[in-house]
Amino acid sequence: MVSQTQTRVLTCIQCGKCTGSCPEAGRTPFNIRMLVRKKQFQSVVEESIPWYCTSCGACTLRCPRDVKPSEMIIEMRSALVENGAIPAAIQKALENTFVQKNPWGRSRAKRGAWFEKLDIEVPHISETESKRLLFTCCIQAYDPRCMVIPQNVATILTKGGVEFGVLGEEEACCGNEIRRVGESGLFEELQEENKAAFEEYGVKEIIALSPHCMNALKKEYGDLGIKIVHYTEVLAAMIKEGSIVPKGSFNKKVIYHDPCFLGKQNGIFDEPRSILNAIEGLEPLEFSRSRENSMCCEGGGGRMFFEVEATYQRNAEVRVQEAVEKEAEVIATSCPFCVMTLEDPATEKGITVKELSEILMEVL
Amino acid sequence: MNKVLVVGGGIGGITAALELASCGVSVTMLEEGPSIGGRMIQLDKTFPTLDCSTCTLSPKMVEVALNHNIELLSWAKPMAVKKAGQKFQVTILKKSRYVDIMKCTACGSCFPGCPVVMKSEFNMGTGPRKAIYIPFPQAIPNKASIDKREDRPCKAACVDACPIHTNVLGYLKHISEGRFTDAYMLIRATNPFPSVCGRVCYAPCEQVCNRGQLDDPLAIRDLKRFAVDRFDLDSLEPSQIQKTEKKVAVIGAGPAGLACAHDLAVEGHEVTVFEVLPEPGGMLRYAIPEYRLPKEELRKEIRYIERLGVTIRCGIEVGNDVTLDAIKNDYDAVFVGTGAPKGLLLDVEGENLPGVMDGLKFLRAVNSGESVETGKSVAIIGGGNTAIDCARTVRRLGSENVKVIYRRTRDEMPAAHEEIEALLQEGIEIQFLTTPVCFYADNGKLSRMECIRMKLGEPDASGRRRPVPVENSEFSISVDSVITSLGQATQTSFVEEIGVLLAKNGTIEVNPLTGLTNVEGIFAGGDVSTGPAYVVDAIAAGQRAALSISCYLKNEPATMTKAVKKPERLTEDEVVDLTAKIPRVGRIHMPEISVKERVTNFGEVAIGYSPEDAMAEASRCLAGHIEGCIQCGECEKLCEVRAVDHTMRDEIVDIEYDSIVLAPGFDLYDPTEKREYGYGTLEGVITGIEFERICSVTGPTGGDILLNGKTPRRFYFIQCVGSRDRQSGARFCSRVCCMYTAKHASIVKDRIKGAEIYVSYIDVRAYGKGYEEFYKSTQESGTFYIRGIPGEITKGENGLLVRVENMLSGEMREIEVDIVILATGVRPRKGTEELCNIMSIERDEYGFIKVDSITPSRTNVAGIFVCGMASGPKDVPDTVASGGEAASRCMEYINQ
Repeated sequence: MVSQTQTRVLTCIQCGKCTGSCPEAGRTPFNIRMLVRKKQFQSVVEESIPWYCTSCGACTLRCPRDVKPSEMIIEMRSALVENGAIPAAIQKALENTFVQKNPWGRSRAKRGAWFEKLDIEVPHISETESKRLLFTCCIQAYDPRCMVIPQNVATILTKGGVEFGVLGEEEACCGNEIRRVGESGLFEELQEENKAAFEEYGVKEIIALSPHCMNALKKEYGDLGIKIVHYTEVLAAMIKEGSIVPKGSFNKKVIYHDPCFLGKQNGIFDEPRSILNAIEGLEPLEFSRSRENSMCCEGGGGRMFFEVEATYQRNAEVRVQEAVEKEAEVIATSCPFCVMTLEDPATEKGITVKELSEILMEVL
Repeated sequence: MNKVLVVGGGIGGITAALELASCGVSVTMLEEGPSIGGRMIQLDKTFPTLDCSTCTLSPKMVEVALNHNIELLSWAKPMAVKKAGQKFQVTILKKSRYVDIMKCTACGSCFPGCPVVMKSEFNMGTGPRKAIYIPFPQAIPNKASIDKREDRPCKAACVDACPIHTNVLGYLKHISEGRFTDAYMLIRATNPFPSVCGRVCYAPCEQVCNRGQLDDPLAIRDLKRFAVDRFDLDSLEPSQIQKTEKKVAVIGAGPAGLACAHDLAVEGHEVTVFEVLPEPGGMLRYAIPEYRLPKEELRKEIRYIERLGVTIRCGIEVGNDVTLDAIKNDYDAVFVGTGAPKGLLLDVEGENLPGVMDGLKFLRAVNSGESVETGKSVAIIGGGNTAIDCARTVRRLGSENVKVIYRRTRDEMPAAHEEIEALLQEGIEIQFLTTPVCFYADNGKLSRMECIRMKLGEPDASGRRRPVPVENSEFSISVDSVITSLGQATQTSFVEEIGVLLAKNGTIEVNPLTGLTNVEGIFAGGDVSTGPAYVVDAIAAGQRAALSISCYLKNEPATMTKAVKKPERLTEDEVVDLTAKIPRVGRIHMPEISVKERVTNFGEVAIGYSPEDAMAEASRCLAGHIEGCIQCGECEKLCEVRAVDHTMRDEIVDIEYDSIVLAPGFDLYDPTEKREYGYGTLEGVITGIEFERICSVTGPTGGDILLNGKTPRRFYFIQCVGSRDRQSGARFCSRVCCMYTAKHASIVKDRIKGAEIYVSYIDVRAYGKGYEEFYKSTQESGTFYIRGIPGEITKGENGLLVRVENMLSGEMREIEVDIVILATGVRPRKGTEELCNIMSIERDEYGFIKVDSITPSRTNVAGIFVCGMASGPKDVPDTVASGGEAASRCMEYINQ
């Protein structure tokens, strides 16, 4: 992997398309094109710089020479991780993941707490016939703000007659962010653990609740022989075939924010929109930068775990600003990280951030 | 004589062909499209000299056409090639252009009428063309062709059923695509009364519409009404007409007379119409009630006819105020179209009592604004449209108890189905199998009518079952007035004075195809010769007569109108096939005023479609479901030299050649997949070749650089889009983009004062003669070259936002512009693969034709040579050089 990216780094023609695409360029000291140039000549890079990358993937998706700059960043971070020259908060997140299998360091035994208070029965995967696994993201398993997402989705799936099961405490962090902060060893460990569980229970399909988990499972776990989808794909299909019918109305202007890992990196743009469009009274709005050009919320690539040094107007604030200008009443998204990053500036501006499942729950 | 085949008519192929021809070789040039010229003819200017591309190339194109050694086949391509010894056996497909190039004079009169609007390939989709077209004015061959891709799924029965052969599928196509004025003009081309037919036509077209065999027939009449509603006829200026000095008199200003007058006036004859009533229009004016046909609509149509130069003299009764003989002496020809204005009598006792009225007289009085007292209880006798008009009019006049008395049953009623429906909706009762036998008066005033029940017996002459009275079934109904509407007759005694022959029933005897009577110069048509019929039949008769009068006045034999094709139905197999392909969509109905509201006044009942509904309804037309020509036949009608031939078929020929030169040329990269640039989704993001067409005088804007009608001020050019790009599988440099962008920038500088121009580049490749100097002068003239390729383009507040790192300064910029031009790279021409496959020619990883490294025109097959972009990116000078090199290698091979 390393040698391959290195060769590609050497083919860079310094066109600057990566910087033109980068959500950090211009606003932070991070200049991805310059970093590739430095990497070509093995020049010294200031240690704090690689940590700005949000791993949104735009540079890699658009690079005309297929240099894969965002992968190069992971290599740079790996070197820093190896030398222990990394931000303390990242260090902590890695240790937590090593011990509790989640970056927040919450007790692994509590990973299934989210469904304990639900009215519906959430079975263990082994008790299901379909072997359809609902894969919970760490932040959704523990964070009270995000816990509603698995709760909602589980409820909606049950309503629509879709059978599924969970792994509960046997589930480990997917490792998507872990790989991106440069700890490939730990990522492989998490991967092995999850894979073993999938194999043990004969999992046939995984519904990932977070786009980040979906991305890792789909693209970075190797060929599992398991169908992996995001929950919005499942719910959109259920609405289309009529197994769930939004009955109530949601009389608000809703602007949809495309998460990088769901949208530009995995091409899922229409399903979330089709869910919103199926709701009566809901007036959908679009950001000027949407779909493939969606502006990253800066929650990825380990940025959920720590604060970068530079102070600047965060993308989430820019995003909220536009939503306010467009007179949106709700910002909808379908990624827990996006919910978390957008919510602070949104609350300040008096606008609500809702995860898609929250809106859907209100009208079912 | 040696023979060489040149495949492709761009600058490369043209050069090779001319060189070979000058060496005495017989050359066949195949061009896949309608004209030679290739990509170069699409360019506005060529770099670095900024010469007009057309001015440089078109003399060469003409040379090809004039050179006796070159046979040019357009719409042709090789299908198979077999090497036989040193020679090549080539199978050539000559696609049909459906226009006889020996006859076509490139006059262009066929284009305007064609209802199929397509994207012009020549203009890269930046402008429209018709299905019958010449791609550009300098085209070689300069002949029209028809872009016919598939057969029409329906039989266009509508056109055959229409007495005036309205181009129904044509105007529906226009409406379905939002071209409402074009729809109107196409209707008007065959119909001087669109607003009348759009309202009261009996629509024989709808009865035979093939879509009716799948779900519902199209709302052809209502869509005509829609097109009419959106057009202001008063603003239509009649075109210049050359006068003939011939005078024609028309007797009767009804639909037949006025249609005849209209067509005669268009031919340049001086027409005077004599009308007995105070206002022209005939039955349209005095019989059809306002709620079905507002008088103002009719007046507009007649005003237009007057603006064509027709004089209408009202209040003159021919035979009384002036004799027909006198008119005959004053005019060169006469058309009689006096209709059938007389109501038939019932022939029962009491018919002459006050209170018993003739339907036509009643309607005429109401339509003249006279007050007519009908009382509370009114009976209308009859089952035709006039009876229904009377009944619905009486209802609007305030009578409460209105009854229609008809002697047969509903099935035999001659009135239109929807009229009967409307009547019933308005609360009017029909008493079937009933007929009056006597009217009784009380104090000299009608008070009661005695009726008798009928039953249906054997069929009569009309094919309907004859009603027979049922004995002892008499009963009586009290009435305040009775309106009789039993049919109409002609009033033709005035024509007898000059010896015009009449039939027994009083109609004028004419030749039905020409309208000529037994008296020279006297023509007749409409109800006066056929007995009562429909408006559109009268219009058709007037038009037929106008045509033969024109011939008569020119001393030519009367043109017999073509034998009429019977409307065809779809076969059962076709219905099954179409049902599988086309989803069921029922008719969208035109909204109407509520019954409660409409019976209180004479306002028009039908409101008319919204544009959205009209477009949706019109797009149900089966003919509109195909790509390209819909075979409506409009071009055939318009072509004076009869060059259009829809029966042409593709041809395949086998010819032996000594050698082959391939010059298939190139395409430009389609940047749609680069979503970050928004091509195809963001307005104002276009490609270089599209920009070229916008700059060109032969382009859609005539050379004005316009974006949606506005002049852009801020320009952003992005280089290397789809070149040096692994993402799109093209690692090569396209060689022309740096220079064509510099050219575009200098064209903009030259034409738009104060334009702000940015060019994003990676490195500028300007290595040809004078290229570097041109690039530098472009920079000097104030074009900002930014080293750095933008990451993305998004919609900003007042334009497009280009996000780019100016790498030489290390700054991130967000630049707002009006237009972004993507300098897209080149690709092998679509079809190159197929061409190579039939000749076993090898291609490189990008699909360009592989050539020998030191003989750059030599392919892997001896005797087949290549020139131009087909073997890799080249600019114009290099392409010309490669054409020459291919020609000389070809000569070398032939003379071996």
